[in-house]
Amino acid sequence: VHKLLNSLVVVEGGNMAARPLVTVYSDKNEATQTQIKLPAVFRAPIRPDVVSFIHDQVSKNKRQPYAVSTEAGHQTSAESWGTGRAVARIPRVRGGGTHRSGQGAFGNMCRGGRMFAPTKVFRRWHRKVNVAQKRYAVCSAIAASGVPALVQARGHVVDKVAEIPFVVSDKIESFRKTKEAVAFLRRANLWDDIEKVYNSKKIRAGVGKRRNRRFKQKLGPVIVYGKDSGVIRAFRNIPGVSLLHVERLNLLKLAPGGHLGRLIVWTESAFNKLDSIFGTYKAASELKKGFTLPRAKMANPDFGRAIRSEEIIKAVRRVPRASVKTSKVHRNPLKKTKLMVRLNPYAAVLKRAAILSQKKAQNVEHPNEKLIQAANSKAAVARKAKTAKKTGKK
Amino acid sequence: TAITMVEAKKLPQVPESILKRRKLRAEQKAKVTQNKVKLSLKAKEKKQKIFKRAEKYVAEHRQRVREQLSLRREATKAGNFYVPDEPKLAFVIRIRGINQMHPRPRKVLQLFRLRQINNGAFIKLNKATLTMLRIVDPYVAWGYPSLKTVHDLIYKRGYAKVNGQRIPITNNDIVENELGKEDIICMEDLVHEIFSVGANFKKANNFLWPFKLSNPNGGWSKKLNHFVEGGDFGNREGKINALLAKMI
Repeated sequence: VHKLLNSLVVVEGGNMAARPLVTVYSDKNEATQTQIKLPAVFRAPIRPDVVSFIHDQVSKNKRQPYAVSTEAGHQTSAESWGTGRAVARIPRVRGGGTHRSGQGAFGNMCRGGRMFAPTKVFRRWHRKVNVAQKRYAVCSAIAASGVPALVQARGHVVDKVAEIPFVVSDKIESFRKTKEAVAFLRRANLWDDIEKVYNSKKIRAGVGKRRNRRFKQKLGPVIVYGKDSGVIRAFRNIPGVSLLHVERLNLLKLAPGGHLGRLIVWTESAFNKLDSIFGTYKAASELKKGFTLPRAKMANPDFGRAIRSEEIIKAVRRVPRASVKTSKVHRNPLKKTKLMVRLNPYAAVLKRAAILSQKKAQNVEHPNEKLIQAANSKAAVARKAKTAKKTGKK
Repeated sequence: TAITMVEAKKLPQVPESILKRRKLRAEQKAKVTQNKVKLSLKAKEKKQKIFKRAEKYVAEHRQRVREQLSLRREATKAGNFYVPDEPKLAFVIRIRGINQMHPRPRKVLQLFRLRQINNGAFIKLNKATLTMLRIVDPYVAWGYPSLKTVHDLIYKRGYAKVNGQRIPITNNDIVENELGKEDIICMEDLVHEIFSVGANFKKANNFLWPFKLSNPNGGWSKKLNHFVEGGDFGNREGKINALLAKMI
């Protein structure tokens, strides 16, 4: 998902804050003449970290407490026999005449004893979340639903859906029959997503299957409506479909599992209301008091592209390269003539003089002496010619 | 900017950013090659300069040696005594380790930058330093190094203090960057400055990290005695060169 988010910035056309027009589709999936300017919420920063955290917190709020009985394991009057009886010192059940007498009691290790750290009902089940954070998460979730890549990444089948965000005329809201709803979904090419839900119905792994949670299935699209004239009852029996009123959007439905990009079907009136509910970057929200859309930390988050841009390269001071070349291993110039000559060019002269004097003393000639002499005389001639040229020019 | 494929027959247009980058790179490359030529000319000049200086120092040294010799011969011929100059330069080696040291000689050794056994350093000789050497006599072996010793020390065991780091002197540029202001631009200049205790001796000497020498090949005689007693510590004047030949 992060790669997708990064690639979002390299969208063709450039400016991510631009708000294009969204076509409204009829209930028969024909593009109508009406076009609505994309609400500013869809340009809110998409923050998977915020959504994940808020979802985590908020999902704890519908929990029902569970605990073991307070007296569990203590409904005996057991007492330890103490030492000296060749038995462990665990409290034992008093009395006689039954299997239970003399058995260990109370401990978490004992059969019929109390568990370690008995679960309590006063466990902190619910989490308080800041309103602003909750709103941020919802804005992110809505913004993510407007990115086809993210919706597909979440697993929805949206290849043939006309446009994302998908806005439909208000006719939907007055559907009364599930048949009508199904026909609409088929025509709108959303039925593939529902098919996916049908195909995903599986028996739940784990103990939940015998606790009235036998089946599990994937989620399909969410229908966000402006006014319920029958929508809910028309769509509610279709597996996978959720319904939300635009003024009461639920993060747990918009980003199920904390994952962004649920497929949303907006009705026209709902879509129109979004700007007044969440506000724009120019105007605060009308419905949510004191709320303005969240702003991103970086307007253009493609950092790599930015630092390689012409403007930044020109403004930045160049990094000075190490001016002195140093070798990694230190070698001894007294033994390596090349190094010696690099450090002291005159050393070549001294060395040659030393060799010559040594050879002379031994009455021996250097094996390459003739070649060296020839090279030297040639060099001398070349130097003379050069100086002659210079003086000649002058 | 997006790559646009206009028609099947036209070639795809190269994006503007790539063209800009190519142009920038070409300009940079041209600048670099220009710079290289300039630098190589400078390097050549410098090499010639260093050559001339080294030649001069060799000639100077020969002359100095012959001069001393001739003065001595003159004096003996006339039945006089020739008293050469008191030595100006000493090389001091720390002989003893760090345990159980008296605080006074310990402090003096720190001042001499001899913090480790077999560390060596050049020291300018004057009343002050001579007194200090007397204090640390039992812990050091010192003497008057010859030119060959100074030369070999700096070439083989010479490390520079650059930015607080101990860097081997593999290039004359290292010397020039630090001591260029004092007109010391190569190893030969450095050797000459140290040996002749010039005006910038302090800077040149401080540029050199204290020498880390090996234990002498063939061993010590007896570190616990003074040299004159047949041991090793104290001033051994000219005989320091023989010792250093075994330690470098």
